[in-house]
Amino acid sequence: MKILVPFKRVPDPATTIRILPDGSGIATDNVKWVINPFDEIAIEEALRIKERLKTGEVVLMTIGQSNWQEQLRTGLAMGADRAKLIVTDKPLDTLTIARVIAKVVAEEQPRLVILGKQAIDDDSNQVGQMLAEILGWPQATFASKLEIEGDRCTVVREVDGGLETVAFPLPAVVTTDLRLNEPRYASLPGIMKARKKELKEIPIESLGLDLTPKLRVKELKAPPKRQAGRKVGSVQELVKLLHEEAKLI
Amino acid sequence: MISFELTEEQRMISQTVEAFAREEIRPAARTADESGQIPPELVQKIWELGLVRSVIPEASGGDGGQRSAVTGVVAAEALAYGDLSIAIHALVPRLLAYPVLEMGDQAQRARYLPLFAQPGFCAASAALTEPRWDFDIFSIATTARGSGSGYILNGEKCYVPLARESEFLIVFASCGPAVEGFILPGGCPGLVVGEREKNMGLKALATYGLTLKDCAVPAEARLGGERGINFNRLMSEQKVAAAAMAVGVARSAFEYARDYALQRRAFGAPIATRQAIAFMLAEMAIEIDASRLLAWEAASRLDKGEDALKESYQAKNYTASAVLKICDNAVQILGGHGYIREHPVEMWLRNARGFAMLEGLTTV
Repeated sequence: MKILVPFKRVPDPATTIRILPDGSGIATDNVKWVINPFDEIAIEEALRIKERLKTGEVVLMTIGQSNWQEQLRTGLAMGADRAKLIVTDKPLDTLTIARVIAKVVAEEQPRLVILGKQAIDDDSNQVGQMLAEILGWPQATFASKLEIEGDRCTVVREVDGGLETVAFPLPAVVTTDLRLNEPRYASLPGIMKARKKELKEIPIESLGLDLTPKLRVKELKAPPKRQAGRKVGSVQELVKLLHEEAKLI
Repeated sequence: MISFELTEEQRMISQTVEAFAREEIRPAARTADESGQIPPELVQKIWELGLVRSVIPEASGGDGGQRSAVTGVVAAEALAYGDLSIAIHALVPRLLAYPVLEMGDQAQRARYLPLFAQPGFCAASAALTEPRWDFDIFSIATTARGSGSGYILNGEKCYVPLARESEFLIVFASCGPAVEGFILPGGCPGLVVGEREKNMGLKALATYGLTLKDCAVPAEARLGGERGINFNRLMSEQKVAAAAMAVGVARSAFEYARDYALQRRAFGAPIATRQAIAFMLAEMAIEIDASRLLAWEAASRLDKGEDALKESYQAKNYTASAVLKICDNAVQILGGHGYIREHPVEMWLRNARGFAMLEGLTTV
């Protein structure tokens, strides 16, 4: 079974992010870039499906500049078979990204697209859903368990207050939640093999899409600094303040 | 032309091993230090990263990658960044695998290299250091005397990592005017492994003394056969590996102290903003980069097949004192907190002390 895993490159969650003084974005110097952790879970799941079924192909893709190759190679080192880099240096909004992925889906004809439920940079949580809508495929978001039998897929979803199990026919789009699996580390032999795997660069213009963003980020702001707390002398005083000052009770 | 650029592959190896070190090794380090035991599952997990098997030829079941001292240095730094005892333990098999790979004759390569392509961790080691006040690697007191077609080995060794569990060991001994290596099976007659040594640091790493008493080995045991070995090169590879690991330890101590100093407030400001601390941190950072450059230069000479004796000794010598100073500073920056076992810096300081005298524990 062919599985497509689209992923996004994001700043390493361990790095401290600084917002540019004009609020137009984040300072990218000295930032370490990694595969979006939710997408890494998606890669792992795709590899596990392939290993379970003992057949298939895992194709990675991302949309970005030429130097995003490094993250694609990391995914190849984990064990994916080949990769596509849709090259652009323009910022794209989520709908455009979903449309670009849909183009690749049309060409690759995978039975399953797995991707993270959201990227940890802007937390949009939209691409998977939009993609399923464009393709007219079933979607299962926030997957914490995934099983494939023949042409059917069962996914356990993490929803408010519990778990929901959904079953649907393939092809489909699945987005991953944190507890689906623990991604493997690439091994040295894997890293060495990754160099020889196919990594194709495709200029975004060749896809013939309208890339004009419908969404514009106006400004990024750091969250306001938390004010220091206050100590109260008694429960009575606390209740009084909650009532009169905070107006919570 | 000078290049300080790692290849994409080397960067990926560095990042992967470092992520592993941070997430898997570091959390296990304190317990391992206190108990003197490294969980076998963790050793196996490191083995599966393929740090050894990646360079074992395909004919022996390995991945046939090009062995590179620079790559080795990068990986050793990243692994030791997690924990030194665990890093050394995981790489001890290289002490046998690499000399055989580089200098073994065909029969030796065919016999021993497949061991390191196996899915399970394979303990194998080497015995170099001797318990003498005047120990000098260029005048080794252990002797290998020709006897019939084979050799008789006599002498004493110490700081032999994993000696007890090793399937095979290389013993370095004076053979006429030169130092040669002899491959011995773990329990061979005449080879007695002593008690586990009680060391100041590296408490999780099992090291042993061993005695060779009229230990008879066949001619095939001599590494490289009649041609013998290039002992200088082996020593250069060990020195540069030790230097790289020292950089890893130094960096962990530096980063820990830096983060602490940014958080810890005294007199209304983080202590990192006080010059007494800031200068210390700056100096630590400079020493780390200087140490790394020395190790890289020595490694890149090794990769070019050049003599790197001077460079590797300088790298090892410099980093051995730099790492001690850096770990000591880290303890100092943490103040009282640095001395208690709740923080890892005291452990790193104890481990770092080993670099000044321990030889032959690791290689690239």
